[in-house]
Amino acid sequence: MKYAMLILKNLMRSKRRTFLTVFSIAVSLFIFSALVSLPTVANQVLADSASSVRIACHNKAGLTYFMPMAYQQRIAATPHVVAVVSESWFGGILHDINDQFPNLAVDPDQVDLMWPDWGISKQGFEDFKRLRTACLVGNGTMKRFHLHIGQQIQLKGTVYPFNVTLNIVGTMNDKAPPNFLLFRRDYLEEAAGRPGVVSNFWVRVDHSENVPLVIASLDEQFANSSAETRSESEAAFIGNFLQGFRTFFQIAEMLGVIVVLTIGLVAANTAAMSIRERRSEIAVMRSIGFRSGTILGLLLSESLVIGLAGGILGCGAAFLVLKAFSVGAPALGPLGSIRMPPGVLVETLIAAALIGLLSAWFPARSAARQNIVDALRLVA
Amino acid sequence: MDEKYAIEIDHVSRVYKRDEFEVRALDDVTMRVPEGRFVAIMGPSGSGKTTMLNLIAGIDHATSGRVAVGGEEITSMKERDLAAWRARHIGLVFQFYNLIPVLTAFENVELPLLLTHLSKAERREHVETALKVVNLADRMDHYPRQLSGGQEQRVAIARAIVTDPTIVVPDEPTGDLDAKSAEEILNLLTQLNRQFHKTIVMVTHDPRAERYVETVYRLDKGVLAGIEPGKAATPAQAAGASA
Repeated sequence: MKYAMLILKNLMRSKRRTFLTVFSIAVSLFIFSALVSLPTVANQVLADSASSVRIACHNKAGLTYFMPMAYQQRIAATPHVVAVVSESWFGGILHDINDQFPNLAVDPDQVDLMWPDWGISKQGFEDFKRLRTACLVGNGTMKRFHLHIGQQIQLKGTVYPFNVTLNIVGTMNDKAPPNFLLFRRDYLEEAAGRPGVVSNFWVRVDHSENVPLVIASLDEQFANSSAETRSESEAAFIGNFLQGFRTFFQIAEMLGVIVVLTIGLVAANTAAMSIRERRSEIAVMRSIGFRSGTILGLLLSESLVIGLAGGILGCGAAFLVLKAFSVGAPALGPLGSIRMPPGVLVETLIAAALIGLLSAWFPARSAARQNIVDALRLVA
Repeated sequence: MDEKYAIEIDHVSRVYKRDEFEVRALDDVTMRVPEGRFVAIMGPSGSGKTTMLNLIAGIDHATSGRVAVGGEEITSMKERDLAAWRARHIGLVFQFYNLIPVLTAFENVELPLLLTHLSKAERREHVETALKVVNLADRMDHYPRQLSGGQEQRVAIARAIVTDPTIVVPDEPTGDLDAKSAEEILNLLTQLNRQFHKTIVMVTHDPRAERYVETVYRLDKGVLAGIEPGKAATPAQAAGASA
């Protein structure tokens, strides 16, 4: 503690240099923590849904291919299945093309059984079942477009050649995707001229251990049909959806690491310059009786303070920006829920400390071990 | 009566290697400095004065020979022990003051005390006393850049004496000062010697210094060329030096 004054005074020796170093570390760690948060959040989404008892059953050819609606009864009759909700992608926009967010039409009868963990009120479920034009909206989309319960909205069709007029009867919170909008499939079916096809079936199973059994059973039932199915747990379904982003995540992570390494080298250069300027002072301190280890500790502490100050600033800024981003960009699907996980916060602060310590290690070690007489000659 | 020696140097040589050349800075020097004396090591440039001071202060190692300070042999000490020894026994004063520019006079003087177990209040008391001795109690919050050369050197002397070391070793303490400031510094060192009984070994080529010291050790080309009484020597000291 008695050395704190010495460390602080040396940090303030060149305020501009200290500020610029802290700022550059802060910017690099801002970029690092923001980029590293992306895959971590994706993994978190998967982890949240890993224990799910829900199965997605879709066309084996891909999500854009349809299945006959008649499959629903056969799925419902499969052992261990407690609820089935058919789903069709509508792909509408609210005002213009920039207002995109996932909007889907689902069967209203068993929505409460299928998604009890989505924070929908009892009244919301009841109204959704009662009113043909009802819709349930995720809280992210509600905030984004300043919507409220009871409001009537119109979704413009981009896939279907018609619009749908909907009444908001409830919001979705908790584990629900914050940007989703659900409305009734019977309304869509009628408007589309009853084509009798669906994009996906959500299937709820009695126990999670029965999920593999039901998956196998479903795909077996529809094997060799005109629309073979591929069933998968909700975690696997979201995982496949996110798979398309994997390369992007990897590039983002690599970029983050490169930025940190680059700034580490810049910080090392700054530390070397700062320590080199003080070689004679360090020699004087050693001639007074300061041990090499104490000098090394003091120099590393200065650098550690700079690194951590940059880390806290960068991390804090990234946390706030991601928070604002997640509220303002719900159209990104699961990625819309990006927030800085505590693990990334810890990683970033460790990176900050390492930048501080490693950047100063070699010049500080060299200065602490220098020959006192040679260093004193620098003054003369 | 047996005289106690603050410094004993026996057959000390110091050879530096500069690229492929060997420089013999000190060559088989033997000398003794009695306790409580104010002595000067004098000689022309390159005579080995500062090398001798560095060996006494324990910041350089002899190539051969034995150096003992305060009865403790330092020649074989490891760097870690030597650092602790310097903190206890040596008060170094440099020609260019070598104060830390970002610290005030008070903080500069406090620096060696950070190595002790003294409390903050005790450190303050010691620093204030040292600054009073050098007559700079009213400048303790000033930074080195706000002080004159003479004042900076006095702060450096306060830093050297604040731990109450066995020996004070000023290296050309007047070398960067005008005549008036140089006189002040030499008077201050005399006061430290007479009032506080500090052994002072000063390296200088300033001829005025001879008036203040009791013994002059003359070095020339790395060898001890002579020991002479200074102008401040008592008759007994003068007789001892001549012998």
